[in-house]
Amino acid sequence: MDWFAHPENTKPLGLLIFFITFCLIVLWVYGNGKRGQKLEEHKNIPFLDDDDEMKDKSNG
Amino acid sequence: MSATSVAAAGQYDYDIIKKFSVMAIVWAVVGMFAGVYIASELAWPFLNFDSPYLSFGRFRPVHTGAVIFGFGGSALFATSYYVVQRTCQTRLFAPGLATFTFWGWQAVIVLAALSYVTGYTQGREYAEMEWPIDLLILFVWLAYMAVFIGTLMQRKQPHIYVANWFYLSFILVTALLHVFNNLAVPVDLFSLKSYSLFSGAQDAMTQWWYGHNAVGFFLTSAFLGMMYYFVPKHAGRPVYSYRLSIVHFWALSFMYMWVGTHHLHWTALPDWASTLGATFSIMLLLPSWGGMINGIMTLSGAWDKLRTDPIMRFMIVALSFYGMSTFEGPLMSLKDVNALSHYTDWTVGHVHSGALGWVAMIAFGSLYHMIPRLWNTQMYSVRLINAHFWLATIGVLLYITAMWISGISQGLMWRAFDDFGNLQYSFVESVAAMHPFYAMRAIGGMFFLTGMLLMAYNVTMTIRQGVRAAEATGAPAAAAA
Amino acid sequence: MFKNFKHEKIETNVGLLLVLTMLAVSAGGLVEIAPLFFIKDTMEKVDGVRPYTPLEQRGRDIYLREGCYTCHSQMIRPFRDEQLRYGHYSLAAESRYDHPFQWGSKRTGPDLARVGGKYSNEWHVQHLIKPTSVVPESVMPNYPWLQETKLDISDVGDRMRALRVTGVPYSANEEEYQRNVKQFGEAVARTLHIPDARKNLVAQAQDGNFDGDRASVSEMDALVAYLQVLGTMVDFSKIKPEELVKFR
Repeated sequence: MDWFAHPENTKPLGLLIFFITFCLIVLWVYGNGKRGQKLEEHKNIPFLDDDDEMKDKSNG
Repeated sequence: MSATSVAAAGQYDYDIIKKFSVMAIVWAVVGMFAGVYIASELAWPFLNFDSPYLSFGRFRPVHTGAVIFGFGGSALFATSYYVVQRTCQTRLFAPGLATFTFWGWQAVIVLAALSYVTGYTQGREYAEMEWPIDLLILFVWLAYMAVFIGTLMQRKQPHIYVANWFYLSFILVTALLHVFNNLAVPVDLFSLKSYSLFSGAQDAMTQWWYGHNAVGFFLTSAFLGMMYYFVPKHAGRPVYSYRLSIVHFWALSFMYMWVGTHHLHWTALPDWASTLGATFSIMLLLPSWGGMINGIMTLSGAWDKLRTDPIMRFMIVALSFYGMSTFEGPLMSLKDVNALSHYTDWTVGHVHSGALGWVAMIAFGSLYHMIPRLWNTQMYSVRLINAHFWLATIGVLLYITAMWISGISQGLMWRAFDDFGNLQYSFVESVAAMHPFYAMRAIGGMFFLTGMLLMAYNVTMTIRQGVRAAEATGAPAAAAA
Repeated sequence: MFKNFKHEKIETNVGLLLVLTMLAVSAGGLVEIAPLFFIKDTMEKVDGVRPYTPLEQRGRDIYLREGCYTCHSQMIRPFRDEQLRYGHYSLAAESRYDHPFQWGSKRTGPDLARVGGKYSNEWHVQHLIKPTSVVPESVMPNYPWLQETKLDISDVGDRMRALRVTGVPYSANEEEYQRNVKQFGEAVARTLHIPDARKNLVAQAQDGNFDGDRASVSEMDALVAYLQVLGTMVDFSKIKPEELVKFR
């Protein structure tokens, strides 16, 4: 337990905690096919914002 | 979903976005002109004109302030207000506060520039503003945070689109960095001068924690937010992988904060801190490239757009420069490479490949996409956009090539020994050898500035055209800002 | 069509997104910066390092004002070429009274960490007025106004008091003065005494005669006084090399 009390050990500790968190995020994002499908549907949000008339105005 | 019956101009709050877009272009012209000027001072020192107000040391923060906070900042305010409204399908929360962010932010840029040329500075790179301006920034930023978060909270769309995540982290982190890096004790309540609370190694660490994260969040995360909205929107196809963008976000947010110490290799900072910085810098390559691939692959199946659409070209070249700089950065953070590159023009070149190649180009692309929609018209001239694209690209390439050559030759000349073990070159010989490259850099900058002037003209004509059309049809909502 | 997404807590809840982002971004800063304020060898005390005198501190203010840090570093790295060119590598302790630090990031001109004593006062004055008069290839701007401008010493006491708040041991009373006598010796302690700041400043400028004009104290006096003290505080002949390791 002493190990945690030393300030110089904060870096491996921080590293460990956040590496694990990161792995969990990756697992969460890619782990479940169904969840992935749902997540991917969000990518259409930018296309729900407009009235149709604007689209013809975009000149490239 | 969206209220399709309401015209877009009435559906969203555009007035504030118009103001910020115009000022982004004004500050780009001013800041890039200042940049070309100080670059020319290094090539042709007579340009300092023995004037305190024009001398390189005082004028350089005018350049960095105007381009980073003036141009970059205004472009971010404009696009974030645009993106957050459109992806949340709601109007801005507290438009009064949003107006305050506009006037407050413009005041910050003007006051900062005036204070630098008259000699008031904290002497910390990219955080030169003295304490009263710092306080104003803080208020503006809190208002910005309130508007942005408030808008997110009143969204009509359950999911918060990933671009907003990037904007949100940029707003949060900038507040954090700004407060901690500017802790200072004023000489007097009526004096503009203050002294940094920290000193020496602690001050250096705090400053580069700020400095690099300003790059990471102000100039990267926020502009990635821009990328995640405008690239898919302009291409007319959704982002390549939404899941990748989530991973990109978390990895970037977490890792960027560690890398600032790579600015302090081989200094009196404890070794472990800079080694840790280097390690994270290398790891950062992965999410950065993940993001770049995500952006570029959005175009897969529509590559022909690159041939016909200069706006798309801006965006894709921006992403390529993003990939290039995020490869170069980790390379330069390696201690052995850094031993050569640190203190040289290579660093300056690296910053500009990121700032001109990535930040400015993605901002140009986004502004070109957004401005005709704000004024409900079309861009005045697509050919001018195309000319701007080529001028900008040639400008960046000239700039970074000049800085690569001069940076690496400086590094090599400083460490060269003759056969007797003495230093081969005096310092000033390295200065003299840089002259042609400083001239080449200034010319690269002039190319970039010329492109910017074309954009300013093109946008002015576009706005006039939009305003005239609105007047003709009598639609009051589309009136100019 | 979005009804079924409502349970996706993380990306539909602003508050949670805020907290998690905050957590992710704070980690790096906390882990790297916080220890620097606790570990004592970040700033090992080294004999000879003292706060700047009022004149030197005013010179430092001018160094900042003119943005010298945009082209000059003050941090010598432990390489053979830098040692030959600039001198002994910089120790953290040498910038312990530098608010703010001026390590710099760019050497358009040479490093200045140990420029003190390398050139004469006359050389510095001439060089600052017109660098090309002594270094023909120089691209440094001329600073003629330094010699022509009288140094503003009206607020030097306030400046020292502000620095005292940040932790620089300038003395405001007898007790603090005695502490400085013990730590730095009497001669130095006298220059750090805030009530005598103006007197000390003028005296140093006249004794040192940095700008070649004893009649008045110019900004040139202050800046040259600062440049001449850079890197001279530590006497490296008195420190054993094996001891130096712990100062880095």
